[in-house]
Amino acid sequence: MGGDLGSRVAALLEHEDWVGDLLGIDADPPRRRLQRAAFHLASAGDHDRIVALVTDFDPHVVVHLSVWEPFSRAAPAQARTFTDQAATSFLGAVAECRSLESIVVRSGLEVYGRARGAPTRPDESAAVAPTSEFGRMLAEIELTAADLGRRIGVPVAAVRIGSVLGPHVPSPLGRLLRMPIVPFSALADPPFAVVEDTEAARGFVAAAARRLDQPVNVLASGAITALQAIRRGSRVPFPLFGPDWRIARMVSELSGAPIPDHVLETLHRGRLADNGRMQELLGFAAVSTTTEVIDKLYAWPSVVRIPARQQVA
Amino acid sequence: MSQVIPMPVDRADRAARVEARREIAAADPPTGVAGWDVDDWGRDASFVGVASFLTHLRWSTTVGGQERLPARGAAVVVINSRRFGLTPWFVALVLSGETGRPVRFVGRPDTAPAGAVARRLGGLLARPDEVASALRDGEMLVVGASGTMDPRAVGTVDHRLIGPAVERRVPVFPAAVAVAQLARRANIEIAPAVKPPRRRRGPLGELELADAVRIRIGQMLQEFGAPAPAPRSIGYR
Repeated sequence: MGGDLGSRVAALLEHEDWVGDLLGIDADPPRRRLQRAAFHLASAGDHDRIVALVTDFDPHVVVHLSVWEPFSRAAPAQARTFTDQAATSFLGAVAECRSLESIVVRSGLEVYGRARGAPTRPDESAAVAPTSEFGRMLAEIELTAADLGRRIGVPVAAVRIGSVLGPHVPSPLGRLLRMPIVPFSALADPPFAVVEDTEAARGFVAAAARRLDQPVNVLASGAITALQAIRRGSRVPFPLFGPDWRIARMVSELSGAPIPDHVLETLHRGRLADNGRMQELLGFAAVSTTTEVIDKLYAWPSVVRIPARQQVA
Repeated sequence: MSQVIPMPVDRADRAARVEARREIAAADPPTGVAGWDVDDWGRDASFVGVASFLTHLRWSTTVGGQERLPARGAAVVVINSRRFGLTPWFVALVLSGETGRPVRFVGRPDTAPAGAVARRLGGLLARPDEVASALRDGEMLVVGASGTMDPRAVGTVDHRLIGPAVERRVPVFPAAVAVAQLARRANIEIAPAVKPPRRRRGPLGELELADAVRIRIGQMLQEFGAPAPAPRSIGYR
């Protein structure tokens, strides 16, 4: 609930008829005003406290969103540690809950991987074969949740979302695309798809409401290439051919937009998926297109820093 | 004083103005080099238009039987192809122009830059799941038989790529293609859809259909003036 996606999901769940009490646990406080939800601050590694909170609450439905995307809010190593700790704490705790009816976990298109010869637009039946660190993190969560669901006999839904973009979402892809000069792969410039945070949040709520028992791809329709996105945002495209990417990554990191390996993979190999089963599995189809989400990305206002009139320290 | 010393509010205003300009730029659809769009599979209609124009400059193509192709919905066109001839690419471009709908070809490479170009032209990987996914989306696909050096011979039709069409009962059209290497003449003749000889529960149906399609293409090439291909025994590859 401390992340933007978690806060959005919580806000939507508050308006659902089938939701009674709502409990959120995160290391950061909620990003939006919540009316009914109870919130507890707890770090991902605080197993005892999390187990106590979850088992006392004894939930019917658990939506596990505690996934740290590398370089979104934490460096890759930290993101890996936090995600592992959160998965151990939360999924371990929910296994002890007698009333549990459904588990929904956050996953991503990165689980399909982009190895050479991998399907261009994998659907939910495609093999999970991640080729990036973030993809492996998500695949492990899916596997853990699926094993858990099998053991305790509850349905598990993995909501595989595209790169989430939103006005307050700390997305490494969004950050990179909003830089004044943006690198892109001159030889490949492959297409990719994204999802707006509101639509991703709807996906989690619908999966929970329907007690979904399988993975589902949630992303905006259509696709866009990096060069096309850069031009739509009136940024300066900077073509790269191969070894120069290493330098570009360093420069980008120094400029405040580090490029994790899954974003690099997106820029080199693309990232598409088939969202054709959203209507059937979740009850709604993608409303916005990838191009519209990218246009909004450039329309969202930047943080305007106003320096103090008088420096006191 | 405020004109000499930039006040914080002024700076904030300036930043807001810059943002507003960017907003306007984002709201205004870009034109020219940024005006293109790629679809769900990465096909770039503008790029296809340019490639079609260049193809038209190089070859004068006669297409027969295109009225047999459905105006909408999934369909598979199986063609004979020449080794290193990029025949499926060529046929997909021509049929896109003839039918007015996107036609994709199966068998693009997955390495840059050739793979990237092929994807922009509507290429799909030669994978049964990729073909199945495209057919589910109602796409029209061009599948090439294995390439041969003899322009009038038909190679093997990969039954695994035909399988998704059999499963979904998508019409499969054989088409004979003759492209002159030096002259400008090119012919594409599309035959009526071939149905599986008999209903099968297993993969034998797609194998038989692949064989029937291959034989039909061979007959059409014979009508073009080439000897008939030798019949092939039915068997799993």
